Amino acid sequence: MSAAADHLSVDALLDYWLHDDTPAASVDAVDEHLMQCDACGQVLDELIALGDGVRSAFRAGAVSAVATSAFVQRLAGQGVRLREYRPPRGGSVNCTVAPDDDLLVIHLEVPLEGVQRIDAVTESSLEPGVEHRLEDVPFDLQAGEVLYLPKIAAVKQLPEYTFRVTLLSVESGGAREIGRYAFRHKPWPG
Amino acid sequence: MEAADASAAETPEGRVARRIAAAAPGEAGEAEAELYRLLAPRVRRYGLRHLRDSHAAADLMQHVMVHTIAQLRAGELREPERVLSFVLGTCRFTVMDQRRGERRRAELLARYADDLPMADLHIAPRLDQARVADCLERLPERERTVLVMTFYDEQPSEAVGTQLGLSAGNVRVIRHRGIDKLRRCVDAGRRVS
Repeated sequence: MSAAADHLSVDALLDYWLHDDTPAASVDAVDEHLMQCDACGQVLDELIALGDGVRSAFRAGAVSAVATSAFVQRLAGQGVRLREYRPPRGGSVNCTVAPDDDLLVIHLEVPLEGVQRIDAVTESSLEPGVEHRLEDVPFDLQAGEVLYLPKIAAVKQLPEYTFRVTLLSVESGGAREIGRYAFRHKPWPG
Repeated sequence: MEAADASAAETPEGRVARRIAAAAPGEAGEAEAELYRLLAPRVRRYGLRHLRDSHAAADLMQHVMVHTIAQLRAGELREPERVLSFVLGTCRFTVMDQRRGERRRAELLARYADDLPMADLHIAPRLDQARVADCLERLPERERTVLVMTFYDEQPSEAVGTQLGLSAGNVRVIRHRGIDKLRRCVDAGRRVS
């Protein structure tokens, strides 16, 4: 075993950790490098800790995300308790979350043909007139929807309110509305 | 080959291993603790990567260090300065062996565990979870989505890309940007606190 040569890049360490497109020979080479290089080992420790942090934050409902139905189905298969809503396009839905719900899943069905990029504009009745724009939101082309997972830990603390989402298709000539949805939230009774 | 051997002898690990091998069995406590401090975190990392379980990685660390020090004490390592190669080989063998059975590992641990020199280890950083959540929320949607889907299930780029309609290469670029921002944001929080 020779002395540690150049340090590994963060991407190489991530690929190694995630088993990402790394042939066995590369894995062996990284194993060997890490056995003699504490600097790279500590970067890997940091990446592992960040990954753990992302997982914990998401599990705790402290982070919102846009995901896909396949991802949500996998979570359900792991025993994560889901509460799902599918408001009609142009319509509204009454909604709540129970204390023991783990994840709130909002399915925004939308025609995606020809759509390249979607921005979402949100507005809450708790902050009238204040709009938040989420740019370049991922969408699930196969399912024909944008699947939004709000921060459930925060939603559980909210009073009765209405939350509106407008989806925009961003095109060369500007933005075109492709969906509008309203959520009439009430706290869990009792 | 001679140059490689010479460089192995000059590593801190090689020097410490030679001190253990040269001493009477059990008389090099300080050197054994030093070797443990140097190598145990690396063995644990190997275990985390290949066993994907922190308890199994900790067990691997104990086993490999017990075995290595026992071999050095007994003069069974013909070239003590090449201890790194021995440790890596033992890691590989043990992980393969674990898949075949637990008996031999448990026997070794029972025989030597009480005798193992312990040292304070820097294992892994602990991050402020609230800070990580806050930094994640500041990322653009696409980067946050890729990081959540990547790390929640430890999914490679190909799998994440298939779900999001992106190429694996594109996912890696987004992942790289997201991780970079997340690291900076978490680090900035650490410095402030």
